[in-house]
Amino acid sequence: MADVVLAGEGLGKRFGGLVAVRDVDVDFERGEICGLIGPNGAGKSTLFRLIAGIQRPTTGQVRLNGRVLTGRPAHDVCVAGIAATHQIVRPFRELSVIENVMIGAFFGHRPRPHGPRAAREAALEALAVCELAERAESPASALNLAGQKRLEIARALATRPEVLLLDEVLAGLNPTETDQTLHLVRTIRDRGTTIVMVEHNLRAVRGVCSRIVVLVEGRKIVEGDPERVLADERVIAAYLGTAAHA
Amino acid sequence: MLLAALIALPFVAVDQEYAVEMLFLIFLYGAMATAWNLLGGLAGQISFGHAAFLGIGAYATTVLLAKGTPLAVAVVVSALLAGAYSLLIGVPAFRLRGPYFSIATIGIGEATRLIALNWDSLTGGASGLTLASAPPLRTQYFAALLLLVAAVGIAAWIKASRFGYALAAVRQDTDAAETLGVATTFAKTQALFISACILGVAGSVYAEHYLFISPDSVFGFSTSIAFVIMPIIGGLGTVAGPLIGAVVYTFIREQFAATLGNADLLAFGVLLIAIVVFEPKGILGIVDRIRRAGAPRAPAAPRPAENADG
Repeated sequence: MADVVLAGEGLGKRFGGLVAVRDVDVDFERGEICGLIGPNGAGKSTLFRLIAGIQRPTTGQVRLNGRVLTGRPAHDVCVAGIAATHQIVRPFRELSVIENVMIGAFFGHRPRPHGPRAAREAALEALAVCELAERAESPASALNLAGQKRLEIARALATRPEVLLLDEVLAGLNPTETDQTLHLVRTIRDRGTTIVMVEHNLRAVRGVCSRIVVLVEGRKIVEGDPERVLADERVIAAYLGTAAHA
Repeated sequence: MLLAALIALPFVAVDQEYAVEMLFLIFLYGAMATAWNLLGGLAGQISFGHAAFLGIGAYATTVLLAKGTPLAVAVVVSALLAGAYSLLIGVPAFRLRGPYFSIATIGIGEATRLIALNWDSLTGGASGLTLASAPPLRTQYFAALLLLVAAVGIAAWIKASRFGYALAAVRQDTDAAETLGVATTFAKTQALFISACILGVAGSVYAEHYLFISPDSVFGFSTSIAFVIMPIIGGLGTVAGPLIGAVVYTFIREQFAATLGNADLLAFGVLLIAIVVFEPKGILGIVDRIRRAGAPRAPAAPRPAENADG
């Protein structure tokens, strides 16, 4: 594979007797939009948290540009260049929209802005990309769900990540908001950030991702081109299997 | 301008010893409340054990002065000892979050008081320590004013800085702060250290004023509680709030001390309940509310009181 920016090697996570992720090898190429999909309970979110440093893997390594990040705290992982959004939005509700984003700009990946004025400018730029600039001075709590999801992305983007991890950013959005968010994801990729998105919405994944990785029961079962992967009978079986039980 | 008036006051009002004494107490308590507010208000880590740092400063100053150490050295050592102690307790305590952290600080405060009570050879145990002579009240007044200005300056600077944003993020959502690159434990430890150093210096001023210190006064739980009460009365996490709280606290305490003794604790209890129930943002929150209520309803009416705040 050409230019691997982020790699997981033999990643595993065990919670007591439950093995959520087992022995996953996965590479992400610079500049791609990669979808991480799988039925409920497949371990997508756990794998996501292992990569973001929110949880420590039981086995295996995470490498960014070849450098091992395993076991480093979440703030170190962010400083190293991997930013993550939360599946359930977590804005700093007492702060304004721009202040939320300034925190990402102040900390995060180097080079960092010097002083509050430079951080404010960097935050405004991230807000402009996410089409939130006109809401900059509103309290974060005043945004609706779609706005708060975009604020999550803006905040993560302000940390200047090399890789942006998006955890179900489309969940709860209507079709128009979904299209806007997918457009935003492409824009961010075009600005040079590699994107890994955990997603339930297969139609959206098909539209935006250049590659898909499928997890089932904690294992990677197939990866590659979206059309081919979504037509794979193991993937169909995994999804229909859960649908039949539901 | 207010500052100029405060500087001139002890010269103009030489006979007004009561006023100077009251202002001295307000400055000292304002500085202590501001120091507590760095950790409790800005970073949202509510400590019920901050008397430990005041006590260490007060004891260090008293012991060092008794040995003939110059005052300036004693003050610096007091600050650094309090700061060093804060690092010692901060590392384990910050493994805990929210109410668990607060409960741990109660234990730390009480443990520190018991150490002071039982370390007779250094602290004189329950009978306490005395200093031979105090600087003139006017000198103390300026020392306390300087400490207050420094503490408020530090608080205002932190609040507007990158560090202040880190603390605001920690206060509201520690996990979200972590994923945005904020080293949350380090930020909390820094806030605690600065807070403890200021309280160490406050301990020096305290010891020089009262000339007598005992474990139950400087290390007492009620002292720790006072640090919590003042910022909550005025407005948690604001720069002016702890000062407003210190004014209210000092007046209530002095009034009750003259008449009803320990009934001031009852008054603070009632006040705290009222604030938590009706306006968790304290007196500044009430001021805010009045302004907002006044503005849209009567836009044409003259509001001469609006510019009255400093």
